[in-house]
Amino acid sequence: MERNPLRRQLQIMRKSLFDQGYLDEQFVQLEELQDDSNPNFVEEVVTLYYRDSARLILNLEQALERKPYNFNKLDAYMHQFKGSSSSIGAKKVKAESTLFREYCKSGNGEGCMRCFQQLKKEYATLRKKLEAYFQLARQAGPMETACRPK
Amino acid sequence: MAPGEANSGNGGQILKPFTFNEIVLRNRLTALVVDGDNFCRLLEQGILQAYGLETQSVDNGDAAVELIASGAKFDLILIDMLLPILDGLEATRRIRAMGVRCKMLGVTAFSGERERQAFLAAGVDVFVEKPLGPEILIPILRELDEQYPSI
Repeated sequence: MERNPLRRQLQIMRKSLFDQGYLDEQFVQLEELQDDSNPNFVEEVVTLYYRDSARLILNLEQALERKPYNFNKLDAYMHQFKGSSSSIGAKKVKAESTLFREYCKSGNGEGCMRCFQQLKKEYATLRKKLEAYFQLARQAGPMETACRPK
Repeated sequence: MAPGEANSGNGGQILKPFTFNEIVLRNRLTALVVDGDNFCRLLEQGILQAYGLETQSVDNGDAAVELIASGAKFDLILIDMLLPILDGLEATRRIRAMGVRCKMLGVTAFSGERERQAFLAAGVDVFVEKPLGPEILIPILRELDEQYPSI
């Protein structure tokens, strides 16, 4: 049981991110790459993800403004987005990406649009939750963990 | 929560058979990462570097072929399927046609059986749906490490 109240709060926050389905085991695996030489690895990875994927979100928005929809192009953008989202363990975002691609394959434009709106919500929600998590992690300070063998 | 554990949705604990921090390599292996997505390329490089691999990366299939043709040698190549300029399938075929026999992992967001068969037929040794996890990577790194004689 964690005695430090901030660390305890951090554990609770982390647990809820998994329990509520926002993150999957890929996130855990990224955390395990974090060590003394890379103490902010996960935050840096997540920051890079949001910076890089903003471009894909914009591409998708612009592509969804053009009618008739180019489903091949939409699918290609989402394919890329799904790959990077799954790499940080963004479970709900990845699920919406998969659904979007199914709508593309069936040529369902309305489905794509609805799904994209939901995806953006999940993407934004996860971002806020992770920002809060990392802010608390910085306040809580480094945890003593076994060093990853070099 | 201990490292290597994650919660399933029902609050249960999932123990991972492998964790990223479970391996120490004796040799300095080299790897090439070929991915058109900036984030995925950097992340995969970061993961490999965390294990002590020396890495290079390119963002398209043509650059990968050019690099290999120039004589660069790698123990491991991670290559995406969807790549600009020259796609991953054709890049893989051309790399294999040059006589390159190193381990190649096709790491892609595609998950279908058709894509899997196509990538394997093109010449990758393993088809990996993103994300690349330790359960795939660690046995491969161990295998590559053991190919070198012990000092």
